[in-house]
Amino acid sequence: MLWYKGWLETRSRFLTCLIVVTGFCAVFIHYTQGYLRPEWRVDFHRLMLVAHQYLVIIWIISVVLLGMGGLVREKANGSSSLTLSLPVSRAHLLGVRVAIGVLEAITLGVVPWGAIFLVSFASGMPIQFQQARFYALLLVSGGLVYFAMAVLVSSLLEGEYTAPAVAFGLVFLTMILFDLWLRDLNLWRFVSGDFYLDRNTYLLSGPFPWKGTVACLAVAALMLIASVKVLEEREF
Amino acid sequence: MRNTPVILTHDLTKSYGTVMAVHGLNLSVEPNRITAFLGQNGAGKSTTIKMLLGMIRPTCGEGTVLGKRIANAEENREMRRKVAYVAENKPLYSYMTVEQTVRFASSFYSDWRADVATKLLSEYRLPNKRKVKSLSKGMRTKLALLLAFARRPELLILDEPSEGLDPVGIEHLLQTLVAQSADGVSIFFSSHQIAEVERVADHVCILDNGRLLVNASLDRLLQSYRRIDLAFRFPPPEQEFRIAGVERIRISGNALSILASMNAEAVVERAHDLNAVSVEVAPVGLRDIFLETVKEN
Repeated sequence: MLWYKGWLETRSRFLTCLIVVTGFCAVFIHYTQGYLRPEWRVDFHRLMLVAHQYLVIIWIISVVLLGMGGLVREKANGSSSLTLSLPVSRAHLLGVRVAIGVLEAITLGVVPWGAIFLVSFASGMPIQFQQARFYALLLVSGGLVYFAMAVLVSSLLEGEYTAPAVAFGLVFLTMILFDLWLRDLNLWRFVSGDFYLDRNTYLLSGPFPWKGTVACLAVAALMLIASVKVLEEREF
Repeated sequence: MRNTPVILTHDLTKSYGTVMAVHGLNLSVEPNRITAFLGQNGAGKSTTIKMLLGMIRPTCGEGTVLGKRIANAEENREMRRKVAYVAENKPLYSYMTVEQTVRFASSFYSDWRADVATKLLSEYRLPNKRKVKSLSKGMRTKLALLLAFARRPELLILDEPSEGLDPVGIEHLLQTLVAQSADGVSIFFSSHQIAEVERVADHVCILDNGRLLVNASLDRLLQSYRRIDLAFRFPPPEQEFRIAGVERIRISGNALSILASMNAEAVVERAHDLNAVSVEVAPVGLRDIFLETVKEN
């Protein structure tokens, strides 16, 4: 029933984000395709890239919002005593919350790309399935770092507005700082597909970056382990 | 049936910086009785309960609940299976309906009694489909109590359970507490509603400034505490009455008012020896015992 609680807690945020991001992608692709001709392949692929850039922005905002909440927020609104009186460990509580968040984050990455794929197909300008899969995998695998960071921030800060403000601040700060000094490790460029883009065809090329994906997932896992430690040490 | 204390603490202490919220608490709560935990606001009652349930860590000292160490996360989790707890602010999830809340809570406990839950839902007139956030304070309190009473725990810990209830609700609560106790459930409840404590408690612990000042059965307290009013023809010799068991002496003109926790007979005898013109001995209610104890501290 912790899954049920987690779902009830996040469903309005999740469904709102899902509708916004899917609706935006579908409408964007539908209208912009109207200005293209089938023979303009490069412009068509560039359009996919631009759609993905917008999707990345909305997706990261969404997963940061989904990462908010949990025990520390419950402490602020007074319901943590009920949760902590349950015969469940704090690690288990966080684990369920993270699992629901990850599933929602994956859905938020896959469904909009599914919409882009279907709208393109319906418009007579189908995109390659491999390209859609490449974009969606990059987004979800790399982007989970942002989700894990949001969970960590929400384990440290209990303010209703402070936690998301700090989380969004960190997203933009890391994006700028990494771009200045560690461009090759800039997560934003990883999830947006910038590292794997062929500038001539505007297609993602080369093998899928499994090493980068594993590295991102490892960083996310470390952040989640830190969140568990913080919660276990924290007093309510 | 358990024979060992359901709650046992040894020098349990919690400090926040220089502030001692709970100071060297040595508490022993016996099973199968209703124990009241009395204290003013900020006395350390809720902090103690939160330490018992593993929500906050003791600064030093140790304790067990149902034989499980409170500082051990795994043992504490096991213990919580057998303990029902209603927190001070009656926490509930605002985004759930009454029905969802009951279903959610029931899934965690093997001692859940669905028939009792249904009965209480009807008695408390709780609207199943309504969201918790739209319930009144009294209804939220009733729902929080329902989640505890629908179980058959070994120990029931209630933090200010009557807060937010109307007189009918309070009466129902007190009757339920007595019924649960008769059913073999040990009850530990904090309160500053002395009249309620006096009605149902078997045992009373008085906490003030984080220190346990009184830990005795209610009957013994009421039997041993006496107020002795003395009148003399001359300024009363206060020092003559400073004997063991005398908690407080008040002088007003030629009159003395003594509160004794024991030895009332010795005080009366001494008053007669000193030719007191009037000696009146009266029992003392829990309210006076509490106020005097706290004032003295």
